[in-house]
Amino acid sequence: MLAKNFIPHRIIFYVGIVVVWQIISMAGVWPDNIFPSPYEVTEDLVYGASDGSLFYGIATSMWRLSIGLTIAITGGVVLGIFMARVEAINQTVGSLVLGLQSIPSIAWVPLAILWFGLTDGGIIFVTAIGAIFAVTINTYTGVKNIDPHFIEAARNMGAKGSQLITAVLIPAAFPYMISGFKQGWAFAWRGVIGAELLFSFLGLGFLLNAGRSLNDVSQVIAIMLVIMATGLVIDSVVFKRLENKVMSRWGLR
Amino acid sequence: MTKLEAKNIVKYFNHGSHKLKALGGIDLKVEAGDFVCLVGPSGCGKSTFLRIIAGLEKPDEGEILFDGRPVTETGPERIMVFQEGALFPWLKVQDNVEFGLKMAGIPKEERAKISNRYLDMMQLTKFADSYTYQLSTGMKQRVAIARALVMDPDVLLMDEPFAALDAQTRDLLLVEMQLIWEKTKKTILFVTHNVAEATVLGTKVAVFSNRPSIIKKEVENNSPRPRVTEDESLLKLQQDILAELRPEVKKSKA
Repeated sequence: MLAKNFIPHRIIFYVGIVVVWQIISMAGVWPDNIFPSPYEVTEDLVYGASDGSLFYGIATSMWRLSIGLTIAITGGVVLGIFMARVEAINQTVGSLVLGLQSIPSIAWVPLAILWFGLTDGGIIFVTAIGAIFAVTINTYTGVKNIDPHFIEAARNMGAKGSQLITAVLIPAAFPYMISGFKQGWAFAWRGVIGAELLFSFLGLGFLLNAGRSLNDVSQVIAIMLVIMATGLVIDSVVFKRLENKVMSRWGLR
Repeated sequence: MTKLEAKNIVKYFNHGSHKLKALGGIDLKVEAGDFVCLVGPSGCGKSTFLRIIAGLEKPDEGEILFDGRPVTETGPERIMVFQEGALFPWLKVQDNVEFGLKMAGIPKEERAKISNRYLDMMQLTKFADSYTYQLSTGMKQRVAIARALVMDPDVLLMDEPFAALDAQTRDLLLVEMQLIWEKTKKTILFVTHNVAEATVLGTKVAVFSNRPSIIKKEVENNSPRPRVTEDESLLKLQQDILAELRPEVKKSKA
């Protein structure tokens, strides 16, 4: 019963928000240029879509995100595995990872600008570095939690070196690694938008900042909605699906 | 021909700050084709002994000779079947069974041919595409045995593989295990705490003492096969072994 009622509840909730929003803006408490109506925001969305700037912005941000996240996932998995398997690396690099993880990705922006200039490379750097440590730590935890019998059985059956890593360590740690990817993606998404705001060089973050500099509140809100919607879509299409697949294969749900 | 020889195997466990002598100098000779069951009080180190033979642990003293050569590391000629199976949950049954072949770089069609034979032997053919969580405990142990046999090891090391099974499933697997042994001519070392199980399976039963354990007694068992737990011919043997074992179990509880 709950599941059946779930979707209608949700729709009513969001329709409610829009209605209240419209009423407040019609009541004229604040001027239009401070508090635009839902209609104006929709207009901006339609305009952005029709001249293509919105899609170009989404595509640019997504492109940076996917490269940054790919780097973060690859690097994080490698780093996490070595931290879990080689105690000396854990003692040294591991402590540094914990420290670096506490730096918000936006705090890397000044360094990125100095190193890379106002380029895609700088934004991708911020995206990747914001996500890599979450992937590293989850991979580390995952590998540490592998049933030691899996590793012994594999070694007994002749797996060694890189075979052991690809055939056992990675698949056995995968349920944890997925959490790392999800966290990493969330950090990367924040990182890419934040970096674009400050770099002011194309992408959704740039459009957001452009709205600000034009005093166009409805564009700012419109872009924020797009950022939220894009995030939701990626979360459910890519990561939730991946997680469900792994969990059901392992019999965990 | 002597397949395996344990010479004065000593092993200490770390027990908090001090060391506990678990294995107090195990000597054992296993001939090719023997089915040796190791029984002993729990915690006596019989599983550890098996792991040392597998090369998964190193002894503190003594050595294991395999075909006369000292064992230094783990290898596919001595395959272990773990108590809980240690099947890989991310692989289908067939891929679990083929794991060792894949590690050895055997091509796909060849692997399928070999694994199909053992899936059939263990009556797993219709579960080939299942994941392990979909299987009962008994089925999982069949997969674990198939996965070990596929490697065509000289020696099969089985660590209480039937401990978690219900009585009916265990009886069934006890019969099948004898058939497999007769068919494949493998040398088998089988750890169990169940004396009846040991007398049904073994050509020889080795009784471990309490810690620091040594092999207290070796009993030959030439009763006709196939045997079942209730065979009267086994009763006398079971009683002899229990008589050896009882004081050791008492000591281990003291």
